[in-house]
Amino acid sequence: MFQIAWRNIWRNKSRSLVVISSIVIGVWAGIFILSFSWGLYQNNINETIFKQLSHIQIHNPKFNVENDSKYTLSPTDTIMTQLQADDRIASVSNRIISNGMISSPTTASGVKIYGIDPLAEVKQIGLDNNVKKGAYLSAGKENAILIGEKLAKKLKIKPKSKVVLTFTNVKSEIVSGAFRVAGVYRSKNISLDEVNVYVLKTQLRKLLELKPTESNEIAILLKDESQLDAVKKYSADLVPDGKVEDWKELSPELGMIIESFNLYTYILTGIILLALTFGIINTMLMSVLERIRELGMLMAIGLNKRKIFIMIMLETFYLTLVGSPLGLLLGWVTVSVFGNIGIDISMFSEGLSSYGFSSMIYPALDNQNYFIIAFMCLITSLLSAIYPALKALRLNPSEAIRKI
Amino acid sequence: MAKTIIDAHNLSKTYNADTVPVKAVQDVHIHIEEGEFVALVGPSGSGKSTLLNMIGGLDEPTSGSVVLDQVEITKLPENKLIDFRLHNIGFVFQSYNLIPVLTAKENVGFVLQLQKIPKEEREKRVLNLLHQVGLEDKLNSRPGELSGGQQQRVAVARALASKPKIVLADEPTANLDSKSTANLLDIMAKLNKEEKTTFLFSTHDIRVIQKARRVITLVDGKVESDVQQTPK
Repeated sequence: MFQIAWRNIWRNKSRSLVVISSIVIGVWAGIFILSFSWGLYQNNINETIFKQLSHIQIHNPKFNVENDSKYTLSPTDTIMTQLQADDRIASVSNRIISNGMISSPTTASGVKIYGIDPLAEVKQIGLDNNVKKGAYLSAGKENAILIGEKLAKKLKIKPKSKVVLTFTNVKSEIVSGAFRVAGVYRSKNISLDEVNVYVLKTQLRKLLELKPTESNEIAILLKDESQLDAVKKYSADLVPDGKVEDWKELSPELGMIIESFNLYTYILTGIILLALTFGIINTMLMSVLERIRELGMLMAIGLNKRKIFIMIMLETFYLTLVGSPLGLLLGWVTVSVFGNIGIDISMFSEGLSSYGFSSMIYPALDNQNYFIIAFMCLITSLLSAIYPALKALRLNPSEAIRKI
Repeated sequence: MAKTIIDAHNLSKTYNADTVPVKAVQDVHIHIEEGEFVALVGPSGSGKSTLLNMIGGLDEPTSGSVVLDQVEITKLPENKLIDFRLHNIGFVFQSYNLIPVLTAKENVGFVLQLQKIPKEEREKRVLNLLHQVGLEDKLNSRPGELSGGQQQRVAVARALASKPKIVLADEPTANLDSKSTANLLDIMAKLNKEEKTTFLFSTHDIRVIQKARRVITLVDGKVESDVQQTPK
C-alpha cells in the first residue's frame, strides 16, 4: 500500500509538482516571515539595549514617579566601583537627569537633560557614533551641549548656536544656564532625538546643586544577557534603597510592539497555511474524483475503507515529505544569505525609526523554529487531506465502478 | 450432490425509489452449486450487472437475501463484507480495472498481500497463475503496456489469486476481440475444471454463451429461462 500510494502521486506529475511547490512555498514563506520578524525584534531589542537603555538601570524609586532630580542614588562612586569590579558587567555609567526647557532665539521646547560623563557613554551607548554635525562632548568645554537633529530643526539651530536651558534645581528654584551647541546627533529612535539633550555631568551637577556623590541613574551593560537576573539581584543587594529594573521593565512599549508584530506574524502564517489547505483539498479531491472507478475496484477486490483512507492520507503525506525538506532548505538558504547581507527596508523606515526600529533587517531563526514550521505544514496538509479521503470513503463500490 | 454455493432469494433492486422508481431486478431466485460454469445473459438493461453486484456484495438489494457458502452476506456489516469479498469472491470487470501503478505481478499479488500471505508463497502463486493465463513474459509490465486481452487475463489471474470459491465476471469479454475472447474463455473453463472454482459471468456474446454449461436468461429484471447445456 505504501508503494501504491507512492506510485500514485507520480501518476499525475504536474499536479503533484503543483502540490509539492505549494508546500515548498508554504514552508519557505513561513520561515521567511518568522525569521524576518525575528530579525526585526532582535534588531530592535539590540538597538534599545545597546544604544539607549542598557540591560539594567538603577534609580531612586521616587525619581521614577516624580522625575525630580533631587531623588538621587548615593554614594555613586562606591556603587560604581563595586559594579565595575564585577566581571559579568561590560560597562557601567551614571547620569544626572533633569527635565527642563531649551530655548533658542526663535523658539523653545521641553527637553530631558542628561548630565553625562562623555567617555563613559562612548562605551555605554555609543553616543559619539550618532553625532552627525559638529563634535561630541569633551571634558574641557564646560558649557557644550549635544542635541538631536530633529530638535535642532525645530529650534532652527546648528552647531555653535547658543541655547539656554531652564530647569529647577534641588531646592526647587528655577535656574538657567547658557550652552553652546557642540554637536547634533541622530539616533535610530527619532522620537527620543527630539527630547534628549546631553551636557557634561559636572556642569549639570553644579547648576542643580547636587553633591558629587549623587546621581539619578546608573546604567549597566552586561557581557552576557543570560546573567541578567543574577546581576539584577546583585545590584539590588548593592543598592538596597534603589529600584533596579531591566530593559523589559524599562520599555514596556517595546514589549507591546513585539507583541503586535507577533500577532501579524501569526496572522500571516495562518493565511499562508490556509492557502496551502485549500490547495491541497482541491488537488487531493481532484485526484480522488478522478479515480472513483479505481477506488471502487479496490474496494470490490477487498481493500477496506480504513486502508483506502490511509492510502489517500499517505499520498498527501508523501507529497509533504517531498515538499517540506525542499522548503526548509530554501528557507534556510534565504535566511542565511539575507542574515548576512541584511534586508534594507529604508522605504518604510521613516515610520519604523520613530518606533526605534533600524532600517536594516537581518533575518534569523532558531533551528527549532524550522522544524515547528515544517511540522505545522505537515499537520496542515494531513488535516486538509481528511476531507478528500472521507469523500473517497463515502463511495459505494458498485456505483463507483459503473462511473466512467 | 454438490453443495449450494450461491443462493439468491427473492432478490429485488429498485433505483430511485423516491422519485422515478426503476425496478432493475425483481424477485430473482438463483441457486448455483459448487463448480458450476454459469452464463447470465439478457439484453442491455435487463439487470445482469445489478444482479452480479448484489451477489458479490457490491450493491445492497432493496429486498431479499444472498447466501454465499452458507454466509448471508446481505446481513454482514460493511467491513466484514469487504473482508468476505477478499477471501471468497474474485471479480473480473468489464473494463479491466487493474491498478494502473502496479505491474502485472504486483496486481495479482496485491490481493494476496491484503490477505497477509507470506512473500515466498505469494511469489510462487503469482508466477503460477500468470503462467496459467499465459503471461509469464509480461510479469513486470504495467497495465498501460498490455493489450486489452492481456489485461483481462491479468484480471482473471488476480480474481483467482486468493483461491476464491466464486468468481463473478461482469461482461469480461465485452472489450475483447474474438481471439482474445476465445483464449480468455478457455482459460476460465480450464481453471473452473482444475480448481473447482464456481464461475458466474454476465454476457451477451453468443460465443461466450456457447461455452457455458448453464445459461440463465434475464429479461426486465426477471429470470426468463434457466437451462443446462453442453458447451461447444
